[in-house]
Amino acid sequence: MYRPGGSVLHRTPAGPKLLTVMALALAISLVPASPWLLAGAIALVIGCYLLTGLGLRELGRQLRDLRWLILVMLVPQALFLSLPTAAVNITRVVVVVLLAALVTLTTRTEDLIDAIAKALGPLRRFGADPDRIALMLSMTITTVPVIAGFAAQVREAQRARGVPVQPLAFVVPLLVMALKHSDDLADALTARGVD
Amino acid sequence: MTSEIHFENVSVEFSGREVLRDLSLDLDERRIAVIGSNGSGKSTFARMLNGLVTPTRGEVRVHGVDPARQPKEIRRRVGFVFSNPDAQIIMPTVAEDVAFSLRGRGLTRTEVQERVTAALDRFGLGEHADAPAQTLSGGQKQLLALCAVLIREPGLVVADEPTAYLDASNSRRIARFLLDEMPQQLVLVTHDPRLAARCDIAVRFEAGILVDRGDPAAVIARYEEEQL
Ligand SMILES: Nc1ncnc2c1ncn2[C@@H]1O[C@H](COP(=O)(O)OP(=O)(O)O)[C@@H](O)[C@H]1O
Ligand SMILES: [Mg+2]
Repeated sequence: MYRPGGSVLHRTPAGPKLLTVMALALAISLVPASPWLLAGAIALVIGCYLLTGLGLRELGRQLRDLRWLILVMLVPQALFLSLPTAAVNITRVVVVVLLAALVTLTTRTEDLIDAIAKALGPLRRFGADPDRIALMLSMTITTVPVIAGFAAQVREAQRARGVPVQPLAFVVPLLVMALKHSDDLADALTARGVD
Repeated sequence: MTSEIHFENVSVEFSGREVLRDLSLDLDERRIAVIGSNGSGKSTFARMLNGLVTPTRGEVRVHGVDPARQPKEIRRRVGFVFSNPDAQIIMPTVAEDVAFSLRGRGLTRTEVQERVTAALDRFGLGEHADAPAQTLSGGQKQLLALCAVLIREPGLVVADEPTAYLDASNSRRIARFLLDEMPQQLVLVTHDPRLAARCDIAVRFEAGILVDRGDPAAVIARYEEEQL
């Protein structure tokens, strides 16, 4: 999520920032991993976070948010591959995610989505509507925490009743809440002049 | 000259079931309370005012516009505040959500920013401009919804139980804006007799029929008497 600031990265327009990060992510994912490459990538990430003025504390927060992802990836890979290979793979993924987070941290969602809509502009010729796609992206970002909240509610309700958590008993109420929410949201969209 | 809100022999059916019957009603008061039991048709009535519900029969005019036929026009003139604070936020951050209300107006970025900042300050949300909107409290979310409605400068604001999810102090703030501070015409659907009493007129629905209208205190008194 966006953190206001006045750094070079904050002032760089969304389009170029997005392209640069995409290019870097591609390079880091495709080029065969060498310790040097990884060390360089990590240095780059640290450097960029320092450059945002948000500092290493923000980097730490981002890493903490990734801990489950890291664990989920690490266990199977460490079991089926070797530990060093697993470490290399995961470092790559984490570096790419941290770079992507850098874009969202220093760009207003609005600007980011404008840039995406502009990039999708050529698709207009094929009948796609970039503004609608952009709106959908924004609404997805808005809705993720809401659905997460529903999930927490359902889990709490089940825990309160002492029901052992079964997948179906979890998914059904969650789905009902999500559908009701999307109905309400559709009304709000219409009322605010989107058709 | 037709009234600001004009219904003539209006009925609404949902899959063959009549939920609003032969409603004829003219309203020009500034603050209009809509009361009645659950399922009596209050929301159906409110939603017709901005075209979210289309009448099966009859004629509706709201501020000179036919909501069913002129959807673009009606949404410029009528703002709608729903009950659920969470389901009205469209954009990720507070300022972006208010700015969303101004899209398609041909304003420059600076103009949008200026208006949004002024509007947020008016609702005491200025310091949260860049916060993710979902991190606001329920009361703040409802203020945000109202802010996003009023920045479009509608002629009529429809609020369908806007305080239903709020605690007492947040309800008071919302009510103060709607009833005392904004100059626009207001249709307020509410279960709170104290809010209804502060309006200029009350109308009451029961089972899809307009059963009472007039001075709010009298309409509320008759409603409460019948419920005993
Ligand atoms: N979209 C819909 N489809 C079918 N029935 C509906 C729909 N909306 C409302 N109703 C029915 O219409 C009746 C009136 O509903 P509503 O206007 O929401 O009442 P109120 O707001 O007074 O509680 C209720 O019986 C409700 O079940
Ligand atoms: Mg209702």
